[in-house]
Amino acid sequence: MQLGEQTELHITDSVQVDETTRVDTMTINMGPQHPSTHGVLRLILTLEGETVVKAVPDIGYLHTGIEKTAESKSYFQALVVTDRMDYLAPLSNNLGYSLAVEKLLGIEEMPPKAVYTRVLLVELQRIASHLVWLGTSALDLGAQSMFLYCFREREMILDIFELVSGVRLMTSYIMPGGLQADLPPGFDEKVQEFLNVFPERLREYHTLLTNNQLWIERTKGVAPISAKEAIAWGCSGPVLRGSGVAWDVRKMFPYSGYEQFDFDIPVGSNGDVYDRYLVRMLEMEESLKIVRQALEGMPDGPYQISDRKIVPPPKWAVATNMEALIHHFKLYTEGYRPPKGEVYQRIESPKGELGFYLVSDGTARPYRMHVRAPSFANLEALPKMVEGQLLSDVIAAIGSIDIVLGEVDR
Amino acid sequence: MAEADNKLAEKTVELVRSRFGEAVLEVVEHRGETTIVVPAEKVPAIAKLLRDHAALRYNFMADLTAVDWPERVPRYDVVYHLLSLETRAVIRLKTRVGQPGEEHPAVPTVSTIWPTANWYEREVYDLFGITFRGHPDLRRILMPEDWTSHPLRKDYPLTGIELPEPHWGGQVAFQTPLPEGIGRQTMRINQSRPPTPPRPEPEPGE
Repeated sequence: MQLGEQTELHITDSVQVDETTRVDTMTINMGPQHPSTHGVLRLILTLEGETVVKAVPDIGYLHTGIEKTAESKSYFQALVVTDRMDYLAPLSNNLGYSLAVEKLLGIEEMPPKAVYTRVLLVELQRIASHLVWLGTSALDLGAQSMFLYCFREREMILDIFELVSGVRLMTSYIMPGGLQADLPPGFDEKVQEFLNVFPERLREYHTLLTNNQLWIERTKGVAPISAKEAIAWGCSGPVLRGSGVAWDVRKMFPYSGYEQFDFDIPVGSNGDVYDRYLVRMLEMEESLKIVRQALEGMPDGPYQISDRKIVPPPKWAVATNMEALIHHFKLYTEGYRPPKGEVYQRIESPKGELGFYLVSDGTARPYRMHVRAPSFANLEALPKMVEGQLLSDVIAAIGSIDIVLGEVDR
Repeated sequence: MAEADNKLAEKTVELVRSRFGEAVLEVVEHRGETTIVVPAEKVPAIAKLLRDHAALRYNFMADLTAVDWPERVPRYDVVYHLLSLETRAVIRLKTRVGQPGEEHPAVPTVSTIWPTANWYEREVYDLFGITFRGHPDLRRILMPEDWTSHPLRKDYPLTGIELPEPHWGGQVAFQTPLPEGIGRQTMRINQSRPPTPPRPEPEPGE
C-alpha cells in the first residue's frame, strides 16, 4: 500500500443476529470506586449487550457504626455524629435530630429567632445540597462546566455557614434547645448578597440545561418509576415528587415553623430523570423564597431556650455565677436525661424524608438512635428504575436519585 | 394538625382492636405518637389490614428497625413506622421477640406487603440477628458477608473485636478462643481518655 492511498472500509463482516445467535448476559461490577456512583456504591449489573437485565446494589462500604456510636454518647455529644450521615446537608440532619430530642424532652416552645434561623439555614443547606447534585449529575452526563458553576455558588453558602458557626460543612450549629451561638453581625448582609446573586445564576443553569437537546435526550424517558411503585418502594423527596405524588413533609407535617412560610412544592409527572431534575431546580427557587422571607422577618430575641438544664450557659456566666457553673458541669459531664419513651421525628431533607427514631431509657445517653435515611429507600428502588434501560442510563439514574452513601450506610 | 393525627391514630387502634381483639397487647401514647404492640405472628395480617383498609390506607412504610433490651424477656422490639400518604395517618407498630437462649428470633416478613421492607429487614437481620420468615433474600447488607456476629446488639463491643493476625477480611465467631496476646474488648464507653491506673498499694509500714 502506498503512503497516501486510502483503503476502502468494508463493513460486510459484521455479525448477523438471527435465531441461532446465542445471546449471553455478562455480569459486570460497577465497583465501589467509580466516579459516577457518587460515593462507595457497588452495583452488580447483568448486561445483555448494553441493556441492563438485572441490577443489584451492594452497600455497606461506608458503614461506620453511627447508630452504635450514638448509644455511647450523651444527647449533646451525639449531635456531632449526625452531621456525618448526609454529609452534603449536615444542618438538615442536625435539625432532625434536634427536633427529635426536643420532642423527647417535651419542649414545646422554641424562641422565634431560633425557629427562623433554623429554617433559613436549612433552606440554604437545601440549595447547597441541590447544587452539589446538579454539578455532579451534570458532570456525569458530560456537562462538565456545570460542576464548576455550581460549586462556585456553593462556596458562597459555605462562607455563610463559616461566618455563623466557624465550620463550613459539619456545622452542628442547630442543637437541641436552639442554636449553638447567636448570629454574628454581617450575617444579614452576607445572606442578602447571596440572594442578590443566586437567582440570576439559577436562570443561567436553566439556559444551559433545561431546554438543551443533549440534556433532554439523556434524561427524558430515562429510568422512570411510577407513582405507585415509588410509594411501594418507600421513595421520598424529589424521587417521589418527580413521579407525581405531591408529598412534602414540610407541608404535610410542618415542623420548626414551616407553616409560617409561603412556598410551593414542585411536582413532576413522568417520574423520569428529567422530571426529577426539574423538581430539584424548582425546589432551589422555592428555597430562595423561603430564605428571603426568613431573612426579612427575622425576629429579635434569644437564640436558645432558657432552660439551663438543657442548654449550656454562656461562658462569661460560668466564670462568675455559681448556678451557671453547676449547670455547665452537669451538662458537660453527664448531660440531660429525657424521660423514658420513644419518638419518631420526620423532616424533609434535600434527599427525602429523613426520620430520627430515638429511644430513651431515662439515662443521659440515647438507648437507641435509628436514622431513617431517605437515600436508603431511594437506592432500593434503583433496580426498578434501571432494569431494561441502557448502561449509560444507569449513570443518569444514580445521579437523579441523589444518594449520599453516608446516610445509606451510616 | 396534631388533632387530626390523633383521631386517625385512635381510629387505627380501634380498627386493630375490633378485628384482632386479644392480639393488641399494649397501646402506648407518648408525645403525640401512638404505638400498638402486637404478637409477631399477627404482624403480616395486621399490616395487610392497615394497608388496605379504605379509611386509613397505610401505603408507606417509613421505617423498620429493632431495639435490643438484653435484660428483658422478650429481648428485642421490632418497630414499624407506618404512614398514609392519602390520609396522613401515622402509627407505630411494635412486636417483641427473642426468648432466652434464642440466637436468631424469627418474625414473619412484611416485604410482600410493602416492598421497601426488603432492605430494612436485611438490615435488621444484619445488625441484630432477627430473621424474617418468608423474606426472598435474607442476607447481610451492611457488614461483610462472612461476618459472624450482629453489631447493634448491646453485647457487641463498641470498638469492635480484635481480628487475629492473619485475618482475611472475615471474623472469627465471638465464642472462639483467640490466640494468646489478642485482647477481647469489653464494651467500654468514653474511650477518649485512657483508664486511670489503679492507685499503687501502700508499702507495709507506711
